[in-house]
Amino acid sequence: MAESEVNEASKNPKKPQKPLIRVVIYIISHSSLFSLICCIAGIVAFLLLPILAKNTYISENALMPGSANPMFSGHETIEANQLVKEIMSINPKIVAAGIEIPRLLAQHMERTGAEVYCHKFHAQMNQFHPLQFFSASPYTLKMQENSSCGSHGINSVGIIRAPRGDGKEAIVLVTPYNSSKIDLSEALSLGLAYSIFSLLSRVNWLAKDFVWLAADSRYGEYNSVAAWLKDYHTPVFVGLKEFDTDTCAESSYPHDWKEHSTTARSIPDVFGRAGTIAAALVFKVVDRQETTDKDTLNIYSEASNGQMPNLDLINIVHYLAVHKQGLHVKVEKFYLLLNSAWLRIVGEIFELIGKVAKNLNPQWKFGIPAADYIEGTATLASSVYYQALGIPTGSHGAFRDYQVDAITLEISPRVSLNNEARRPEFLLRGGRLIEGVIRSVNNLLEKFHQSFFLYLMTSSGKFVSVGVYMIGFALLVSPLPVAAAALYSGLRTSDSSLNTNKHKANPSSTEAYGTVLKSWRWLHAAKVVFVVHLWGVLVSLVPCLIIQLPERTPTSSMLAWVSLSILSLVTLYGILGSPYSYIISPQYQRREWEILKAVMIAVASIGLGLMSIINYATAQIGAVLMVPMCLLAVPLRHISRSGMSRAVLLTIFNLVVAFLSFPPVTMLLIKGFSEGFDSVSVGDFWIWAQSLWTWNSATYLYLILIHLPCWALCIHILLHPC
Amino acid sequence: MEKIRWFWVWVIASLIFRLVFIYFPNDFILGSRAEIATPLTSLRRLAEGYWLKQSSMSPYAGSMYHGSPLLLSLLGPLTVLGTNGQPSYLLCSLLFVVADFVTAVLIRETGWKLQMAYSDRLKSLNLDKVLESSDILPAGDIASLIYLWNPLTIVTCLGLSTSPIENLMVVLSLYGACSGLAPLTAFGWVTASHLSLYPSLLVIPVIFLLGYGPESPPRKLYLQKTASSNGNNPVLGDHFFSWRPVIYFLLWATIWSSYFLFLCSISLKQYGGLPEMFKRTYGFILTVEDLSPNIGVLWYFFAEVFEFFRDFFLIVIHLNILFMILPLAIRLNHRPCFLAFVYIAIFSMLKSYPSSGDPALYLALVGLFVNELADMKFSFFLFCGYVGVALLSPVMHNLWIWRGTGNANFYFATAMGYACLQIILVVDSVSAMLQHDRMLQKLSRAQS
Repeated sequence: MAESEVNEASKNPKKPQKPLIRVVIYIISHSSLFSLICCIAGIVAFLLLPILAKNTYISENALMPGSANPMFSGHETIEANQLVKEIMSINPKIVAAGIEIPRLLAQHMERTGAEVYCHKFHAQMNQFHPLQFFSASPYTLKMQENSSCGSHGINSVGIIRAPRGDGKEAIVLVTPYNSSKIDLSEALSLGLAYSIFSLLSRVNWLAKDFVWLAADSRYGEYNSVAAWLKDYHTPVFVGLKEFDTDTCAESSYPHDWKEHSTTARSIPDVFGRAGTIAAALVFKVVDRQETTDKDTLNIYSEASNGQMPNLDLINIVHYLAVHKQGLHVKVEKFYLLLNSAWLRIVGEIFELIGKVAKNLNPQWKFGIPAADYIEGTATLASSVYYQALGIPTGSHGAFRDYQVDAITLEISPRVSLNNEARRPEFLLRGGRLIEGVIRSVNNLLEKFHQSFFLYLMTSSGKFVSVGVYMIGFALLVSPLPVAAAALYSGLRTSDSSLNTNKHKANPSSTEAYGTVLKSWRWLHAAKVVFVVHLWGVLVSLVPCLIIQLPERTPTSSMLAWVSLSILSLVTLYGILGSPYSYIISPQYQRREWEILKAVMIAVASIGLGLMSIINYATAQIGAVLMVPMCLLAVPLRHISRSGMSRAVLLTIFNLVVAFLSFPPVTMLLIKGFSEGFDSVSVGDFWIWAQSLWTWNSATYLYLILIHLPCWALCIHILLHPC
Repeated sequence: MEKIRWFWVWVIASLIFRLVFIYFPNDFILGSRAEIATPLTSLRRLAEGYWLKQSSMSPYAGSMYHGSPLLLSLLGPLTVLGTNGQPSYLLCSLLFVVADFVTAVLIRETGWKLQMAYSDRLKSLNLDKVLESSDILPAGDIASLIYLWNPLTIVTCLGLSTSPIENLMVVLSLYGACSGLAPLTAFGWVTASHLSLYPSLLVIPVIFLLGYGPESPPRKLYLQKTASSNGNNPVLGDHFFSWRPVIYFLLWATIWSSYFLFLCSISLKQYGGLPEMFKRTYGFILTVEDLSPNIGVLWYFFAEVFEFFRDFFLIVIHLNILFMILPLAIRLNHRPCFLAFVYIAIFSMLKSYPSSGDPALYLALVGLFVNELADMKFSFFLFCGYVGVALLSPVMHNLWIWRGTGNANFYFATAMGYACLQIILVVDSVSAMLQHDRMLQKLSRAQS
């Protein structure tokens, strides 16, 4: 918008202008300084996030966590222990071990008087569907019907109908276990879940139905939960259902059920449902020896595409675990960063600034100790990383696709699980925690909406909300539109000066028509940008062909991908014309790359803006790489005309930035730094990309449709024959 | 004025492109998007209305269908005509492709007519230097290619909404008016108004087109010319308003509209007749009954406004369109086709159920004035804005409806951004056009 105003201003400088326009003109005329300041401010703002983090608080009053005394008592722990013993006594050698546990669980559930059924599902193969993110609704997912009958798992599901509810809402508790090879920790989580289930079947305060899903994770935890959720949310028509069961004949069904229990006969066929799911907890016990003197609770919450559950859910878990059960709560962090020297320096600088500020005015309290800062940054980095990856960190991710808030609770005791004397105490803690959370969610009147959905965690009790981290992102990205406007307006003013010169030289020629479509000259550059983005679309679809190839290794697939991409770029140029082929009068050629850069930067800023809405973390990491690359890009030949030292510096800068922001290089470098360079190979990028598209991550789309074309365009500009 | 090379190749390529996508089973993914199919134009609703009518109920029962009963009789049978093994609604899709093609051809012809007339008039003013001094682009070809390759047009065509037919009728009336065919003009205008009401405002540019003929430089120039050459210049003769074609047009419009009303009343005889139709179609448009989200701004406004003030704001918002009509008609009366473009852009901004079919039409009409609008200031900004909004809108919708992390304000923000873009487009193009006129005046003054 502003470019025209600059033009206007140059035409009639005497005309008084509005202050806003003057500010815009000022910014555009000092765009390089502005860009530099904004970029640095953006990065500093990002580093400041751990300091700006706020303590979490429970926003929804209805939750009232911990207001009631827990009913979970020693009696329940005995029940849990009994089930654990029964499960562990099943001989894993016998063939029917996979069926034995669901049967046992169903028997126990029935004993509490709940509704019980078994949900049989097929293991789904990973497919290539990168664009599924935009087809948007999980309800349109199509089940692959051709999976063989052999590979199926059995989830056991129990439903307690709420004595005080209308059956319109439900709370889900998921305990994943491996039915073919169960170990003590999984058995403990099953036992604990069962004892809670039996407790809840007796309480009178339950207002939402309670569903216990013992998920058979033989084919992956996520798959089993996702399959159950899909069936829960898709209505099954009778005809189809019969057809489905017919295809997999009774052979795979647990026949012996009929012998064991006569009542269980009708169970497996009926898929029971409760109401809409208000919240879900995935609960696991792990036997991980921690060095703390308390039992530890790990919270995992990232779902696909950086979606998070409502912060209130994490808050109640955190509140109950810390203040009621005395657990040590942790969220994931990068341990690598804890020892990093430069982070310590940054932390100490911030601490120093905080102290100085406090000396100046005792009311300014924004400094935090360097150790806290490092801790916060490590957690923040892992939070950003897992959100950016777009891959759920556990089976709770399956719930988020149906707008259900869910988290995974991983509880680990301070002493070994085999220590039977310590077990009841541990079970009591875990049981009371889960009972408390369920009771809290049970109080909820509406679905979670009060607290944040968009946030980053810097520790289990601290968070950075969207309003804070977006400022840093906006600062980082704002140079892009300004630079585009500056380049474009510079172009227009040079045009008009050219015109006036020409006009003076040749007064007979008509004014203004000297250049046809002078304001539409960006169209050619737009075409180049469009072709390169079209190429991006082709590149994103190439893996679809490659996965059909037999006998491929990751490295060979990667090489095939690269070579096919280059081939398609050459073909596209053959069909639609190469970017350098456009013949224009020499007076404009000088400016051709600038207009290309302006269009590229504009498109990049649109892309980054879009991505920041879809997945902030990806956009933030992308912006850190892309903004310097876009702003620096200048044709190498153009650089060589300027002074020697400057030229060398700029060339080196350009080449380094262009090299670093090529997606495979970035990924391999990060991997190399975190895991050592010995294990890195070219095929790793293929494996990584594969994991992205099998999880429908929008990060894949961003990388190939926005980042890669921008990188290619920057290379174009670097090599431009200006 | 050379033609674009390989014009027909591009046209055929665009048609093949559409056909390829039609054969992909998309299961209404596009057709159920709020940006593409509105309650008025959705083919799904039309099929529902047809089904209701087949089972001898009023097609308007249950507030499902709100279109014309004639469209129901024409397209309805196509929706149920199943071809074995093919995706359903295949025939309708093919019909929309044909409609797009015809629209493009008509736009091209209109462009040619406009350009010929314009260059004739400039010659008569001795301003033909303007044409020679630079290469003039074939506006008609450009405009029709813009129409065919505009992603919005393609998406509208594939998304099974009836907008391609409405656009065809609008373009048909403009084409008829440019070539002076009163019956055709009247047919296009009456059908377009019947289908979506708003094109009825185009009666003003159409009358100007028929009365004054297509685009010309400002009429003041002729007066100057006559004054300076102080004689009976033949130039002036054909620039008075000629009433004859206009009266023909009005006559034909009356005939066509009474014929259409007659057909409608026959088809709705058992279901309440014409009053029911007026209430369910035009009433539905004017009272903004359906508040489901779309790319316009009215749904949000009327979802928020108190019931008590609803009528008041309905009047205010519809008057908003009418307010702008008269000044624009006075200022731009020498360029009736451009006036039509401005009207279309304005009512697609303020209409109650806008869809992606509206920008598809007016962006193609911009192409008709590519030579005159060479000086548009915000072209690059507008381009980026349209690209950004077109991509942002589905993302915001996804965030609000499917992921539940956003809310209605997110989606409405893009709708506001889109409305602002349209305002900038109108303001910028009108000012560029006036600038062009001023330049012509300066030139002619320099000559005399």
